[in-house]
Amino acid sequence: MFSKFLAFKRVVQPSSSLLTRCLNNNNIVHNLKFISTSSVYCVNFFNKLPAEKLWKSVTSVSNAGAKKGRGRGAGRIRIRDLNRGQVIGVGKINMLWPGLSAPVIRGRELLKQQRLPDDSERMEKLIKLRDSMTKFRRLKLTPIERGWSGNRMPGRSIGPPDPIGEDEFVGFDTKVLQLRSLLIMKGSLGRTKNYQAMVVTGNGQGLAGFGIGRSKEAPAALRRAKNRAGQKLMHFEICNGHTIFHDFYTAFGKTKIFVQMKNEGYGLKCHRAIKEICQAIGIKDLRAKVEGSNNLQHIVKAFFIGLLQQRTHQQLAEEKKLHLVEYRAENEYYPKVIASPKEVRTKEEIPKDETLDFIQYVMNDKVILKKKKFPRFYETMPHYQIYLKKYEKYRNHEKIRLNLKTEYGEVKSFLTERYPEEKAESES
Amino acid sequence: MMSVLINKLPRNNIKTIITRSSEIQSCRHLSIVPSLYDDKDPAPTFFSSQVQILLKRLTRPDLSKVFRKRCNTGLFVLRTPTYKFLTDKELEAEIAKANEKAEQLLQMPPVVKMHQTINEVLSEDPALIGYDSCKYLFTDITYGVKNEHRIIVERDPDGVLRNCDHDIRKRLNQTYFPMNGRKIKEPIMFSDKDRFNDLLDNSKYEFILDRACIQYEPDEPKYQSVTSITYQHIDLKKCYEILRSTRHFGPMTFYLTWHQSMDNLMLELLQGNAIREAVLLTSLRQHIHGDVINGGEAHNLAQQILPTPKQSEKPENLTEEDIQLDNKCVECIEKFIVGNSAMKSQHELALQGFREHYQQLIDLSRGLRKAHGGV
Repeated sequence: MFSKFLAFKRVVQPSSSLLTRCLNNNNIVHNLKFISTSSVYCVNFFNKLPAEKLWKSVTSVSNAGAKKGRGRGAGRIRIRDLNRGQVIGVGKINMLWPGLSAPVIRGRELLKQQRLPDDSERMEKLIKLRDSMTKFRRLKLTPIERGWSGNRMPGRSIGPPDPIGEDEFVGFDTKVLQLRSLLIMKGSLGRTKNYQAMVVTGNGQGLAGFGIGRSKEAPAALRRAKNRAGQKLMHFEICNGHTIFHDFYTAFGKTKIFVQMKNEGYGLKCHRAIKEICQAIGIKDLRAKVEGSNNLQHIVKAFFIGLLQQRTHQQLAEEKKLHLVEYRAENEYYPKVIASPKEVRTKEEIPKDETLDFIQYVMNDKVILKKKKFPRFYETMPHYQIYLKKYEKYRNHEKIRLNLKTEYGEVKSFLTERYPEEKAESES
Repeated sequence: MMSVLINKLPRNNIKTIITRSSEIQSCRHLSIVPSLYDDKDPAPTFFSSQVQILLKRLTRPDLSKVFRKRCNTGLFVLRTPTYKFLTDKELEAEIAKANEKAEQLLQMPPVVKMHQTINEVLSEDPALIGYDSCKYLFTDITYGVKNEHRIIVERDPDGVLRNCDHDIRKRLNQTYFPMNGRKIKEPIMFSDKDRFNDLLDNSKYEFILDRACIQYEPDEPKYQSVTSITYQHIDLKKCYEILRSTRHFGPMTFYLTWHQSMDNLMLELLQGNAIREAVLLTSLRQHIHGDVINGGEAHNLAQQILPTPKQSEKPENLTEEDIQLDNKCVECIEKFIVGNSAMKSQHELALQGFREHYQQLIDLSRGLRKAHGGV
């Protein structure tokens, strides 16, 4: 064992001594003085193949693997250009090579080949540069073009439907509601991929329609859906130009939607697909709660059915044969007659069990479950009572501060004049 | 240092210019001299039922304006409207209720005489002279006592115990029993002349009058001067329409009539073809001053006019009785113009215009009746 080690040392020594001497006496030129007889194999895996092939061997995924989704997402290896940021003549050991990395003559002096102190930051810089290359850069959309999420299609606008002959869809805009891939088994081709798109188009003034399109490619599916939507326009009346005529309940399959009319300025507080539909129609204020299944196609269909089944105020008054009267808080609850039927029933003609409550009537006697509101978890704890007691005396301070600021331009009281030194101290 | 000085100079100049221009402005507005109710007490006349009825009718209440959207109701966001199915009877009841509410909303701020300063010494105690260097104020804060009847007294350093004057009473009442919206310190819009004039120039009359109602008592000199300037400004600009259907139209008409300056209002009524209201205004003047030549006739006509509906509501369907009544009104106004008007030529011109317009209306309605087969 020991003899073997010695032998190994003998082999190693000459080369190591050559290196150290070379380093120590690099001013002295001793060409051809020390020749190593041990053979060095310079050909290996890395310099036999081109970079392109080497990278391919690392990054490529088998066909079966790609189908399973390998080589995508996190942990994916990306090709880097290792030559970037490197200069000929500059390396790990910081040498000065006259004529390569420095001029031969500087001033009057002839430069000599010499070793400079090591640059410790060089490697770090290189790694940083390489890392910046591999970072994944998304195609950026402007916030206006962006849809519901990232740069995915749902929620994005794709323009008006294509004109039919000479009839153009002026003022129309189409929004994508859904874009998904479907897999179909075919006898001859096996499993094939199809795209299905659902879009809604409308002019914001009561005309709107939705359509579904299927195709092998996503853009084609979108186009087909858009044009179908343009063919299936429906007209909806908008109450006072901003909301629906009354609350309603609507369902399609297992999807149930409770929709409520709202005051001006309330906005659209509902499912994002319903919001897009409302914007296409021109409805500005509404609240909708989706219950049961949230299958998007069902939501869209249910909402459209509900809108179509609405009755105008005049129709409601005629159905009931009673005056329909509106009360608004901002008008001090002044009874404003909105619709009157041709003939009005008297109190005696109304059966006892008839629903007269407006909301109950338009909801077809369906009652929305209103969940009980529980106190916040901290409100039952003793520390909350302590907090309330402690901060009771500060409860008006904010208002007082505001009043003082409007009156004097600063927080000031009779005490500030009596103790001016306090103010000077706080300023300093 | 130099640069700072140079910077300051032009700024100062601008300031002086601004103040000067504002002085000029305020000078222009100061030409309106407030006239107060300080010699004779207007309250008995104002509160008499006949005058109240006349003033309410002259207000020409339009329910859609009475129940307009207001921004001082404390609603920061709009609420979803509620709907009801009503039968005829229920609807009538609801409308009656709304009319009651309208009556409430149109209740006129009182017009009363300006108060006198209180200077009533309760006792003098020389033993207390020099007891303290400050005044002592005592307030009776018993629950249920009205603000004007509350006992508030002050003990001066010289030992005199006296009843407080109005401004101290108001301040203490507001301290112990704060009235919603009233400020202890006078709002800038009333204390700063420029801001007040800006409001007047922007025709924010209703805002001024509403705020004055909250901030002041009706017998305060400041209230009377603020309202007086506002009424005169309206009269000058002839913006009576802004105050119609509000609670301030009555007091304004009363003010103008009381101070013998209702000619502009009369002209506006004649030009707006409201001849019946013009007669009511004459009747009002007769009630207040009793100086109208045909006062008795005006009173009689007013009694006939009051039960009829508002004139502007049905302009193109005149019955024979309407025509008769209107002709009487025209005669009455003619006499008034001759006897009492200060703007005779303008009034006569307006009346002539009305006559021509009315003749057309008469022809139209008679022709219509004939065409429909009437006699």
